[in-house]
Amino acid sequence: MSLRTTPFHPRTAPLSEGQAWRRWAGYVVASSYELSHDREYHAIRNSAALFDVSPLYKYLITGRDAAQLLDKVVTRHVAKAKVGQVLYTPWCDNAGKQIDDGTISVLNEQTYRMTSADPTLRWLHLNASGLDVKIEDVSEKTAAVSLQGPRSREILQLAAQQDLTSLKYFRLTPARIRGIPVTISRTGYTGDLGFEVWVDAAQAVPLWDAIVETGTPYGITPAGMLALDVARIEAGLLLIEVDYFSSRHALIESQKSSPYELGLGWTVATDKEQFNGKDALLREKKQGSSWQFTGLTVDWDSLESLYAAVGLPPRLPSQAWRTSVPVYDGGGRQVGYATSGGWSPLLKQYMALVHLESQFARPGTELFMEITVEHRRKAARARVTPLPFFNPERKRA
Amino acid sequence: MSDARYDAIVIGAGTNGLVAAHYLARAGKRVLVVEQREVPDPAADMGWIPPQVLKDLRVPGLRIEEPDPWLTVPLPAGGTLELSRDMGKSVEAIRRVSPADAGKWAEFSARMHTLASVLERLYLAPPPDIETRDPRELARIGGLGLYVRRLGKQAVIDLARVLPMSIAELLDDWFESDALKGALGALGIWHLKQGPRSGGTAFNFLHHHVGSPAGVFRPPRSNSTQALSELNGVELRRGQRATVLARNGRATGVVLDGSGDAVLAPLVVSSAPPRSTLEPIAMELDPEFAWAVRNIKARGVVARGTYAIGTPPDFWNLCFAPSLDYLERAYDAVKYGRDSGAPYVEVQRTNGRVELHVQYVAPGAHQGLTEAVARVLNARPDQITLQPADESLYHGELTLDQILFMRPVPGWSRYRTPIEGLYLCGSGTHPGGGIPGAAGRNAAREIV
Amino acid sequence: MAKRYDVIVIGGGHNGLVTAAYLARAEKRVLVLEKRPRVGGAAVTEEIFPGFKFSMFSYVVSLLRPEIIRDLDLPGHGLHILPLESTVTPMENGDYLAAWADHDETRRELYRHSPRDAEAYDEYGRLMHFMAQAVKPILSMVPPDPTSFAPGDLAALLKLGKHFRGLGAERLHALVKLMTMSSADFLDEWFETDVLKATKSASGIIGTFLGPRSPGTAYVLLHHYMGELDGVFRAWGFAKGGTGAVSEAIASAARSFGAEIRCDAGVSKVLVKGGKATGVVLENGDELLAGTVVSSLDPRRTFLQLLEPSQLPDEFVSDIKRFKFRGSSGKVNIALDSLPTFTCMPDGGPGGRLHRGAVSISPSLDYVERAYDDAKYGEFSRRPYMDIVFPSMIDPGMAPPGKHVMSIFVQYAPYNLNGGWTDAKREAFGDAVVNTLEGFAPGFKSKILHRQVITPLDIERITGLSEGNIFAGELALHQLFFLRPAPGWAKFTTPVRGYYQAGSGTHPGGGIMGASGRLAALRILKDGT
Repeated sequence: MSLRTTPFHPRTAPLSEGQAWRRWAGYVVASSYELSHDREYHAIRNSAALFDVSPLYKYLITGRDAAQLLDKVVTRHVAKAKVGQVLYTPWCDNAGKQIDDGTISVLNEQTYRMTSADPTLRWLHLNASGLDVKIEDVSEKTAAVSLQGPRSREILQLAAQQDLTSLKYFRLTPARIRGIPVTISRTGYTGDLGFEVWVDAAQAVPLWDAIVETGTPYGITPAGMLALDVARIEAGLLLIEVDYFSSRHALIESQKSSPYELGLGWTVATDKEQFNGKDALLREKKQGSSWQFTGLTVDWDSLESLYAAVGLPPRLPSQAWRTSVPVYDGGGRQVGYATSGGWSPLLKQYMALVHLESQFARPGTELFMEITVEHRRKAARARVTPLPFFNPERKRA
Repeated sequence: MSDARYDAIVIGAGTNGLVAAHYLARAGKRVLVVEQREVPDPAADMGWIPPQVLKDLRVPGLRIEEPDPWLTVPLPAGGTLELSRDMGKSVEAIRRVSPADAGKWAEFSARMHTLASVLERLYLAPPPDIETRDPRELARIGGLGLYVRRLGKQAVIDLARVLPMSIAELLDDWFESDALKGALGALGIWHLKQGPRSGGTAFNFLHHHVGSPAGVFRPPRSNSTQALSELNGVELRRGQRATVLARNGRATGVVLDGSGDAVLAPLVVSSAPPRSTLEPIAMELDPEFAWAVRNIKARGVVARGTYAIGTPPDFWNLCFAPSLDYLERAYDAVKYGRDSGAPYVEVQRTNGRVELHVQYVAPGAHQGLTEAVARVLNARPDQITLQPADESLYHGELTLDQILFMRPVPGWSRYRTPIEGLYLCGSGTHPGGGIPGAAGRNAAREIV
Repeated sequence: MAKRYDVIVIGGGHNGLVTAAYLARAEKRVLVLEKRPRVGGAAVTEEIFPGFKFSMFSYVVSLLRPEIIRDLDLPGHGLHILPLESTVTPMENGDYLAAWADHDETRRELYRHSPRDAEAYDEYGRLMHFMAQAVKPILSMVPPDPTSFAPGDLAALLKLGKHFRGLGAERLHALVKLMTMSSADFLDEWFETDVLKATKSASGIIGTFLGPRSPGTAYVLLHHYMGELDGVFRAWGFAKGGTGAVSEAIASAARSFGAEIRCDAGVSKVLVKGGKATGVVLENGDELLAGTVVSSLDPRRTFLQLLEPSQLPDEFVSDIKRFKFRGSSGKVNIALDSLPTFTCMPDGGPGGRLHRGAVSISPSLDYVERAYDDAKYGEFSRRPYMDIVFPSMIDPGMAPPGKHVMSIFVQYAPYNLNGGWTDAKREAFGDAVVNTLEGFAPGFKSKILHRQVITPLDIERITGLSEGNIFAGELALHQLFFLRPAPGWAKFTTPVRGYYQAGSGTHPGGGIMGASGRLAALRILKDGT
């Protein structure tokens, strides 16, 4: 009873200086280990940050029809993927509205690991009728850490005693770290060079120790969700329940979004045979979407002058925020809303992820975002910016 | 690569499948019917065939039996209660068991007949589409509403009150004789995994009364399957099981089990149960729809069979359901996964055979079922041959959540499926089992 | 000549009191007549054993309408509804199923039983939320008469039709299913864990003479979700001071608006002159006059006892005679020396929270169904379904310090027991309850200080509720909405002018909702007195 802790908890708990924990899928994970999350953020972009991402939902799909099941469920073409490949993909209901997004790792010809933000077991079963496939929830059995940052490769190469330079973006490889069997995938949620390491939950603690010990000389820094949130906004990565609602949780139609409306049109394999939502998505592709998901950068001068008008210097959000903020056109008509935003310490930009009516989503369009200055609502000038805000070459190199 | 020989393939050569096939043929389509049985089922077809079907198809050799007396009920003190087509005769017979009940028979019969007439009207067309914005459909629904209103205030109240009721409550409101209530109540549980005290069994009672004259609470029977099999105009291929073929949301034909041959046609009409029709093509379906199909309640509770009685009996229909409690106890067993120890048994003399309807049976071994039926009939077990059905013979129980626009699954009641070119026309669709030919005719009209 | 009143309300149960309070608030001179020495009807708190207070009959406040709480300022009159946080179902194999206040925790508990059910639970909850939203407007509307051609009725029917069509196909279909299916069949579509289905469906059988496999029990599943729409923390709550405190608060509100409440004043007849109600005759022979008379008693007593059949249309009399009561539940109130220990959770859960919530004795669907089977044939359940709470854990004032009170709602106990209820049978029924419970909580029996067993017959004798039906008439589909209590008379009026009905036997009925009482008062005010 009470909340669960992850398999890394014996190591993460003593690190917590301020007991700042938050809930993630029924687990407690660190918001930040240090009292301020600044250093943890900079580790992502400067050295290497280590995240405990065990609460992700993980499913093992095996059997003759495993690819067929996944191809019915998700929008990308799974059967085409090669062993060792990882696909980022959304999945939709029959009306082409997005249910969730996650990754599919091709472990071998008939074995796939799917990760999701929401529980997906029932949905997989609903889709699996008549198929020769086994679906196993391995969420608790499998622990995972994410090592993100420019030095992550050096650290992991040392720890695994294995060359990882040939491991390409969105590929995975089996490996051993101090004898512990793991899977290393070149994936992450930061838009930087980074890896995720998947391990049997029973071996989580020794794995953590191995990575931390190896990484210490390279500046490895355990990091929490606050730092991750800033990085993922910079990278323009979606967060369910924040940037969009699962169509299976939405209470009204207008809360649902399609992949096209979320900037994920590239994931829809329209040439694939029947999959959930195909007809609706084809229609939308032809007719165009009424919404777009993109970036918005707040104009510094405008922000400064709004604060200057009341005699204050600009006040910047100290953490990434996740509230819905209206966005207006020049005439004061609301044309969209931001769902996440924050200050990028690296880019020195006030950035936001926004849903905009399509005709306002062209990069460079000048809009206004609501800012509350001394209890009064103001609008700061802002410009539509294509995502991601930050896209270092090392991510794919 | 389309097989140019057929415009339509009908799966199943039961009454509904054949009726649909012949309506399609009459509309100029070249129709192939595929049936898994080698020979037509010799058993009688139970239920009222809509006169429109008889008129449209004019089937030579079709015989409809309307037995009189329509029910013979053995009485605990000896003797029988005989219910006849003649209202006066029935009243006299009932008077011998209960003068009070005899006094109510005529009014009860009239009230039930009025309610059944509402159902009859609903059954001769696709179910009303309650979500429609189409003015023609709205007008039809309006017309139906008006029809009901014109029947009078009592009918409106009865309709609302009686349909969700249990047959036990309904009969207890009217009658006192256990023998009479048991015999009538039995019709309310036909093909349902519900007992007489379960809500909605009053509807099931009325469903089976549709088409009968007032005061007759057993449907007629016929040789419709056999007679329709001999009717020319469609090609009938026997001894082969067909599975629907579909690709990219479109039906393309069927594949024949055994040979594995595919027969192609742009139109496939299945009179097989919705579940077995659609499950093989689940990959083509919206998972929510597939889920709804899987959730169709189609639990088999009936064993049909024959009774080698020796000398031809002197009754048409002999009913062993001595009281509502007897039926309820028979139901109790099946709730916990057992055959009734003392089942409800009806013996039907028809078409030179003596057939049996036994309820309830639970899916499984059926040990001792034959003996239990033999005890009820006071017969030897070797005289009794039973075929217990694990799946509902009606392809979906006629409970209130599975009728009209909810049949076979909510939102897909008009014989269509999400697969273009694939239609359903069997008992699993509106109006359901016990009204042979109605679904076949409605479906064919919807297709054409 | 006695004082003249505008309105006399017969019966001081919660609905009668709500009617009185609303009428008094509209400056009517109102008199409430209660037969018993205290107000409350079936919502009373009594000190049955010295120091131990019990919500004698009704024990949880499920759906008390929030507008009533606000309109009458019930918190200002002492009402405080405390949440019942959890439900624990002990299983026969020593395991348990728990639903806790926290979503993550409940999910995890369900996951332990079935990962798929843990997921289905959320989606099911979402559907039920929509269903509750769909049904809610109906609870606060006066049912239109579908047989009437009056413009008002037609307009209301049209509005109702629009409301349902506005739900959209998917939700409309779900609503049809919910209204017609058995709770077992409905839950079968969603879940595989038997004990979960048993516990959920048990809430669908409360107060009915139906089993979990009987069609028509599914829609009661909604009740759990209804409260949340009103911003109430949990659908089920416990009133500080017991359910009697709810009645006392409403009575206090009514008095503050000027209503007069007289206890020990049973009414024997309603006076009718020229087809119009003119007052009442008390059991002691006194006559009291008023332009309007309201009965909050159940339909049988409202029409067949307080009036002469000759004062009513024949068809109406037979409709009321046909109205089903069939009381099916009993109550066992127990004073405890200390809390019982359940085998399934010997430590009482984290922080001893087991006893702060409900304990449901519904280990499997078959268990509950068999309990029903007994009742079907006229016996009380040998192993009954029970819903147990420990009010002293929520409100320590209910028992002496360190001691506890335990409220056991029991089903089934048929009113028409084979051979009739006797003292011996009452005790045998009490023994069945205690012995069954002993199986789940060994040593429980030795902790019992006092025991009070209440059969449906006792409920009828004490509160007057016909056949001891706790909802003043079965909440079956054919006794709801425009059919409650009789077709054509579901709008709180009666065939006798100036005579109104306001009890749970009218729409929407059931539980400590107060909706019937409020709607009746609004109707009376609209008609003018």
